[in-house]
Amino acid sequence: MRKSIMLVAASALLCSSALAQAADTKVGILMDITGPIANFIPPLQNAANLAVKQVNDQGGLLDGNAVAVYGDTTGTSQGAVDAAQKLANVENVPIVMGALMSGTTIAAAEAVFIPTGIVQLSPTATSPAMTDMKDNDLVYRIVPSDNFQGDVLAKMVLDEGINKVAVTYVNNDYGVGIGQTFMDAYRAAGGEVVAEVKHEEKKDSYRSELASLTQGGAEALVVVAYAGDSGGKIVKQAIEGGLFTRFVGTDGLRDDLLIQNVGAEALKTSFFSSPTSPADNPAQTTLHAAFNAEYGEGADKAFVDQTYDATFLTMLAIEKAGSADRAKLAAALREVASAPGEKVGPGEWSKAKQLISEGKDIDYDGAGGTYEFDANGDVRGYVGKFVVDGSSYKQIAVFE
Amino acid sequence: MIDFINFYLFPGLAIGSVYALGAVGISMIFGILRFAHFAHGDLMTVGTYGVLAAAGIIAINPLLLVPFGMALAIVVALLVDKVFYQPLRTLPTIYTVISSFGVALIFRSLVQMFWGSQNQVFNSGGVRPPLVLFDTFRISVLHVQAVLATACIAVALHFFLSRTRTGRSMRAVSDDPELAEVSGLDTEKVVRWTWIIGAALAAIAGLFVAMDTSAHPNLGWNLLMPMFAAAILGGIGKPMGAMAGGYIIGLAEELSSYHWIGNEALISPSYKTAVAFVVMIALLIVRPQGLFKGRLL
Repeated sequence: MRKSIMLVAASALLCSSALAQAADTKVGILMDITGPIANFIPPLQNAANLAVKQVNDQGGLLDGNAVAVYGDTTGTSQGAVDAAQKLANVENVPIVMGALMSGTTIAAAEAVFIPTGIVQLSPTATSPAMTDMKDNDLVYRIVPSDNFQGDVLAKMVLDEGINKVAVTYVNNDYGVGIGQTFMDAYRAAGGEVVAEVKHEEKKDSYRSELASLTQGGAEALVVVAYAGDSGGKIVKQAIEGGLFTRFVGTDGLRDDLLIQNVGAEALKTSFFSSPTSPADNPAQTTLHAAFNAEYGEGADKAFVDQTYDATFLTMLAIEKAGSADRAKLAAALREVASAPGEKVGPGEWSKAKQLISEGKDIDYDGAGGTYEFDANGDVRGYVGKFVVDGSSYKQIAVFE
Repeated sequence: MIDFINFYLFPGLAIGSVYALGAVGISMIFGILRFAHFAHGDLMTVGTYGVLAAAGIIAINPLLLVPFGMALAIVVALLVDKVFYQPLRTLPTIYTVISSFGVALIFRSLVQMFWGSQNQVFNSGGVRPPLVLFDTFRISVLHVQAVLATACIAVALHFFLSRTRTGRSMRAVSDDPELAEVSGLDTEKVVRWTWIIGAALAAIAGLFVAMDTSAHPNLGWNLLMPMFAAAILGGIGKPMGAMAGGYIIGLAEELSSYHWIGNEALISPSYKTAVAFVVMIALLIVRPQGLFKGRLL
């Protein structure tokens, strides 16, 4: 008797969860919520939640609502694999937005998402290693590869009249990728790298690295690392030790935390490169207005545009595919992101849903760019030059 | 030579002080309670955030607010001991070790829940101009404070353990718990004092790290491995050994990348973590009981 009650209960439970799944569609969101880029995350979670909320307010996803399922990579490869396993095998998501760091994105893709056939769309992973990854057309990103950011950064540094630099980069996919492309491009354009040190994350003192970097009389220190970990400590300790006064950073260092850490005054001659959005983009204005209306502030924080766009694109792909069937989503993602097709922008979910139901082709042009994927799942993009302005950053030039 | 003192020796001593303060707790808990306390790093984080919370209300030098962090760490440690470790004390120690892993995760998650996962800088943070002596030595004030504080604590701890009744019973329990118990020593009191000292020192160490860099939920966890290395190197159950071990590990890490020969760093700074462990392994091969004749496990 007892057994049969258990059976009934169990089958009821199964039925109810099956029903819930038929109605709602899960979207996996993999973020580096803790770890070295933790400070970037709160506005990015808002960006992803905004995309999901807009979809649910404007007709929902497929026959039900979209449900965001978060995974935290903890900023490490091991943590990324654990979180990805959970999304793929426990939550059974059809598609994943994320991760944000290059290392965690690659680890999650190689260990989990490629073997399970899940499309992964990263808003911010910039490592060149992702371009040639054997990914069965499953791994996409909507920021330009660091081959591009490295080239632009080299140009920026030379344009500033800095001909001798010291370079330090963090020993992970992000740091090595961008560090190497920067140095190659800088040397090719006639600059001189007088000292080069690869460093490990999570140490408390980088003074010995800095002492090596001062050998050779560099005019500026190029730091390719995250402000929440080694990057911020290196800049702070360099200033405290009176070793360098001018810093050149990449997107990982362009974090408000850095300004809190060392003060705007100490960074007034420094500048930073970061993937950015095209200037005067109406789609960006729309998104920022919606974002600030919902959350009050923060629309101009780094990578809000890309995170929103990536989340929106994953849901467009599901809608386009007509089901949460993993196998159909790569083709669907390419179709909704690329021309030709009727233009759809941020927040225009009901319009997109309508067009898809009529069988028309759509082309999402987001706040961060137009996103035309090439054969490797990469996009061309924009890199901006930023300087410190008060407690945040201001863009002073855009390179295409 | 000036570079050596400014950028290698003093940072090495400063990080050594942090390892030393953390390792004392680990070593004493290992010696008296007989288990590797994996939550010690996260206990450090809890203490640090206690100071951070106080610093949000009272705007004075965070170093003066350290009693708040110590109090929080002590309360939390005693509570955790009561709830999670005490019920397991009669079982093989591996249960407690695994349980301490779980406690580490609980601590980290609680810190994330209350204070958020982002990095936080102390209000008085920002760049602190270093102490410049004779126009050549540039030494961070905080590093001097860390080294001096650790030295004072070492002296105080030594007197506590050798002169007071409680301190002597702690050493007795560490040397032979059964004998200590049959001779009528109050083991529960000894356990309590172990936690109080371990947690208080962990909070101080965490504060120094957080002020030198920034506070984040993984602060203590990242320091756990070198602290264990220091405790083992010094000899399990020997607080003074743990102190020495901390300084040896800290100095080995920093000094190994000095350009001893020629102009190149002797060992690339990216390997400095490994250096600490090589030193530990090499010493244990020669002297398995650790520097200060700790207990063999």
